[in-house]
Amino acid sequence: MKTVAFFNNKGGVGKTSLLYHLAWMFALRGKRVVAADLDPQANLSAMFLQDDRIDALWAAGGAATVYSAMRPLMEGTGDLLQVTPQIVGERIALIPGDLTLSEIEDELSTQWPRCLNSEARAFRVIAAFDRMLRSIGAAQDADYGLIDVGPNLGAINRCALISADYVVVPIGADLFSIRGLQNVGPKLRAWRREWEDRLKRAPESLGFRLPNGAMEPLGYIISRYSAYGRGAAKAFQRWLDRAPRIYVEYVLNLQWDDSALDVDGNRLAQLKDYRSLLPMAQEARKPMFLLKPADGAIGGHQAAVQECYADFEALATEIEERIALSSPTLGDAKIDSVEARAKR
Amino acid sequence: MPALSDGELETLLHGGESDRNERKRNAADLDKIREAVCAFSNDLPDRRQPGVVFVGVEDDGTCSNLTIDDDLLRLLGNVRDDGALTPFPVMEVRQATIRGCSLAVIIVQPTLNPPVRFRGRAWVRVGPRRAIASPEEERRLVEKRRWGNLPFDAQPVAGSNLSDLDLNRFNLEYLPAMVSRDTIAQNQRAVVDQLRALRLIDQDETPTFTAIAMLGKSTQHWFPGASIAWRRVGGENLTDNTIDERVLTGTIPDQLRRIDEIIDAANISPVEMGTTVHTRAAEYPMAALQQLVRNALMHRTYEGTTSPVRVTWYSDRVEILSPGGPFGVVTPLTLGLPGYTDYRNPTLAEALKGYGFVERFGQGIEIARMALAQSGSPAPQFRCEPEEAPVWVHVTVRKRP
Repeated sequence: MKTVAFFNNKGGVGKTSLLYHLAWMFALRGKRVVAADLDPQANLSAMFLQDDRIDALWAAGGAATVYSAMRPLMEGTGDLLQVTPQIVGERIALIPGDLTLSEIEDELSTQWPRCLNSEARAFRVIAAFDRMLRSIGAAQDADYGLIDVGPNLGAINRCALISADYVVVPIGADLFSIRGLQNVGPKLRAWRREWEDRLKRAPESLGFRLPNGAMEPLGYIISRYSAYGRGAAKAFQRWLDRAPRIYVEYVLNLQWDDSALDVDGNRLAQLKDYRSLLPMAQEARKPMFLLKPADGAIGGHQAAVQECYADFEALATEIEERIALSSPTLGDAKIDSVEARAKR
Repeated sequence: MPALSDGELETLLHGGESDRNERKRNAADLDKIREAVCAFSNDLPDRRQPGVVFVGVEDDGTCSNLTIDDDLLRLLGNVRDDGALTPFPVMEVRQATIRGCSLAVIIVQPTLNPPVRFRGRAWVRVGPRRAIASPEEERRLVEKRRWGNLPFDAQPVAGSNLSDLDLNRFNLEYLPAMVSRDTIAQNQRAVVDQLRALRLIDQDETPTFTAIAMLGKSTQHWFPGASIAWRRVGGENLTDNTIDERVLTGTIPDQLRRIDEIIDAANISPVEMGTTVHTRAAEYPMAALQQLVRNALMHRTYEGTTSPVRVTWYSDRVEILSPGGPFGVVTPLTLGLPGYTDYRNPTLAEALKGYGFVERFGQGIEIARMALAQSGSPAPQFRCEPEEAPVWVHVTVRKRP
């Protein structure tokens, strides 16, 4: 299983919706997907599950959500429990999120430096997300693990991100999310470096595999792009034009080369704001590209549904191809491979 | 169609004939099994013999020692009517023991009304190979259709012609709803060929009942009873004052959308003021009424009757009356029971599935039951009227106590 995190420290960029739609598209293309809701806001779970079902999961105790499965480990009373995934589609399993997940933020901050002392428990805690994801991935025979995180640079996200083989950066239709790249890039590198440090000090015979913290940037996606409007759209366009350069300089940490032929090779997709489809999709609890006339997608809407399908299909193909082209490895070797690809 | 004996199954499994059998180690990839069922239904080589999917056997014919239990058989049985295959294939699922090996077998009869599609794509078998039908192969499938034996909803409507259909709607809604994008993209066929492949016109370009019902410019001109009569009365008896009364016409999707809105407006949600929380609950769970009305339109008879489906809203209950008694395996004794589903109008059912009015075949009554139970309402009641020789199906949903 390859794991992909969708991450930008600016919120409201359509990250969760993007992940939801990609999970469906991968499944439609015959791939098996585990979607992990590691955002304490639990928006992804709310997209997949009815409110009363989420309510029941949160009330259930046991190991029904990401938090309840980690609780014994966090409280020091036991190890990680095997979380019960929710089967939300023929090939989609969801690890349900939990509003109380934010409670582990402190514990994750505390244990991060303790890894440097080679403490086994610290590694057990820091690698918890990864262990959970890999074991569900193996049980579901999954091809992809998609990780949704909240928009911040905190300890929960650090642990979520080190379990990611790849990172995709969604950018919304606002200049803050493009500026967000300037934080995301250096932070990802810092986390990668720090985790490598810790990996070297990991005690032997932990009894589980540690993530390698590859976090290879796959590219960025411009979501909810709208050509409609004048002033705001114009200002945004200026930022949009700068996005390729900011991505190369801050996320890939490479020199920007103006003479390169393919100046925007890191853009995975530019998705439209499918204005009327999104509310319809939320109401019907299905992805926009599967809306039917009975859901209200009548007349010209069907053409938009088809277009949306084609856009997401192209995006899913692009992501699969990029993953197939690279294999995340550790440390310098990995950065070399990013550079090699950028030069190509 | 003849049933297959265990002896015939053995010959199929271990004999040489490769385009009527398919071996699967297990049921892990249901989509591959659906493709095989789709291809056997279409019977492109025109063998007019059932094809068989053997589950629990390796490619080389050796036994894979799969546990054949009820869950597995149920999983395979769902392939018939979970809606991925339209119109539903005629198939049988059972356990069989061949040369000491326990297997699940899916016996698929060729359809009278090809092409059967799996998620909008028609699969065919050519020798041991399975593939998506080319435009030419799809045309041959349509020619194999046995017009005389088709159900009413796939038969031509005498006197109507192409100009009675709204072809704009066909292009904008029907085609994308029923056929996969790649099939539409690769096959540059004339509209009449597309209409024919979707069972909307016959060989003489005469529209079928389903075409008039889904795309007719004036559906009621041909079928005056293909409508919904809505009535809301101010009390518990039909003789009480009528508050609202209307007849919904147009195509069946138009009627379904309008009845949804009307029911939604009638279905008030009083707010109960508690000490700390206000609870707001509709008198009836919307999903239950929606499913029961859709069921009525899908399963009623449209042949030889001018009666509409009647939805009557009383102060204490909702009654839905649909013309035509129960059909096929659904009898006055099995009406409304789980597991008993049959289709008087399979082509219309296919269209309503494509449009998204039906999520899964055979689930409507179950969904209604569950929604009612969850909201604390009494179970729906199903009756045939008159009991001796039913011509109506009568469903009653009572308000929460």
